[in-house]
Amino acid sequence: MSSPAIEARALRRTFKGGIEAVRDIDLTIEAGEVFGFLGPNGAGKTTTVRMLCTLLPPTAGSARVAGVEVLNDPAEVRRRIGVALQEIGLDPVQTGRELLELQCGLYGITGRRGRTRAQELLALVGLTDAADRRIKTYSGGMKRRLDLASALVHSPDVLFLDEPTTGLDPASRLTVWDEVRRINTTGTTVFLTTQYLEEADKLCDRLAIIDGGRIVAEGTPERLKGEMGHDVVSVSLEGADAAATEAALDDLAGLEQVISQADALALYVDDGAGSIAEIVRRLDRERIRVGAISVARPSLDDVFLQATGRRLVEEEEEPEQEEVAVP
Amino acid sequence: MTETLLLGRRAVREVARYPEATIPTLFIPLFFLAVNVGQVSKTFPSTTPFLKGQGYVAFQLPVSLMFAVATATSGLALVTEIDNGYFDKLLVAPIRRSSIILGRLTSDFVRGIGASAFVLLAGIAFGAHIESGVLGALVIVLLAALFGVAYAGFAILVALRTRNVQATNTSFLLFFPLLFLTPNFVPFDRLSPAMETLARLNPVSYVIVGLRSLVIDGWDVGKLATCLAVTVVMGAVLTALSLRAIATYDR
Repeated sequence: MSSPAIEARALRRTFKGGIEAVRDIDLTIEAGEVFGFLGPNGAGKTTTVRMLCTLLPPTAGSARVAGVEVLNDPAEVRRRIGVALQEIGLDPVQTGRELLELQCGLYGITGRRGRTRAQELLALVGLTDAADRRIKTYSGGMKRRLDLASALVHSPDVLFLDEPTTGLDPASRLTVWDEVRRINTTGTTVFLTTQYLEEADKLCDRLAIIDGGRIVAEGTPERLKGEMGHDVVSVSLEGADAAATEAALDDLAGLEQVISQADALALYVDDGAGSIAEIVRRLDRERIRVGAISVARPSLDDVFLQATGRRLVEEEEEPEQEEVAVP
Repeated sequence: MTETLLLGRRAVREVARYPEATIPTLFIPLFFLAVNVGQVSKTFPSTTPFLKGQGYVAFQLPVSLMFAVATATSGLALVTEIDNGYFDKLLVAPIRRSSIILGRLTSDFVRGIGASAFVLLAGIAFGAHIESGVLGALVIVLLAALFGVAYAGFAILVALRTRNVQATNTSFLLFFPLLFLTPNFVPFDRLSPAMETLARLNPVSYVIVGLRSLVIDGWDVGKLATCLAVTVVMGAVLTALSLRAIATYDR
């Protein structure tokens, strides 16, 4: 494909009651990319995916997927895409093999070709042994892998994965990541939504951060983090006055920016470790008692914080931090 | 066509794998057959003119057949798939949306054949005699199954419009007034004038009368043609509304 794999212009979706789920977003995703759509629950990720997959018509704007206008020729778009939605779409009464053979049939791959393709995909996602068991007996990870396989029966140009690892244990999550990488190496463009920072960081060539239906940041993970500065020093306020604390640290050497949260300050500085002593001295001098102070490299959570004013809380994604006890 | 057959085969497999969903739909008609016949068989002995020498079970058999085939099973299966996400998977496949409905109706037809054959055999075991013979019995099974397909469109329509399991499940209750505002216990001319008017306005009456004619009268082309016409028109209307509902789903 010479044209972008996905192109959206001023895409908007307003639901009944005036709820603006997606507000005029623009996207250009090149063929062969793994593109991440990062955001909290309710940010507009799923609504965007549903519009791009032809499941939901946009209220305004336009989109092309695999070079085809979504509104003008939805049937052709559906032939070229694979979709694994957030809610695992499987029929629990069927066996894994039956489901994949049916899915092959719906894409015109019938008879022996369908049976062979289903067998290949079962092997690919490690479900050969469970192929003839009913899906209702599968674990969450097995269902997710089968759902992924069902999105691949026709070797799509573009694969949409809506929160593919939500609810999975860490081992299953890694398996899905490996699978996404493998699929991408075959040339398939992957559009992936996630609320996991690590997933976006490790899996995506580029990503967009969406919040409140708007794209608030876009770029490669490295560039987005690089724009934040060098180190981030987090000061837990624990009841201390935020304005007074910020004023005390205002002209700290090497300070690039300060982002104030409800119970913490994030200081973006040239040299985090070297600034700790000076931060402690200043707070002590102003008799401001704070909680823990920690230093880390900027993460995508910091990018999210800068763009939205709050963190995309996810405990398992916390970076390793050096903590300094404050007197 | 291929996609309808594929989805139909899947739905039939589902029926076979969930007997617990089918067994209650067979128990209820047999229950009504036994209770109704038990209650009024002495009131309407075989010498009653409209029974033409048969027991009352023959008169009640078509009503039980209607109970056996008029279910919300397909609607419930559909709304369950809307709930668990598989419906979206089908919508995003490059198939005509109508095939999702037609696949479901295929299983209704197969289930209807099985259920009506079972109830018919039970009725024969209880003493009913099929005046139109073996061929008539086959036509009874076929017509009843077709009525089941026609009626299934209603629950499918409710499922698509409400996307709610409870609403779809209770849609079945609508069938009760339709079934009881009919000559289900006695012929039209034995009903009170008001009841007769309502029964004559109710299309389901003519399906019962048509099926009953095969059991009691033999071959009555007029009654059979009316029965078939009502079933076809009802099926066409409800299926068309369902197809429209799925075509405009989230659009």
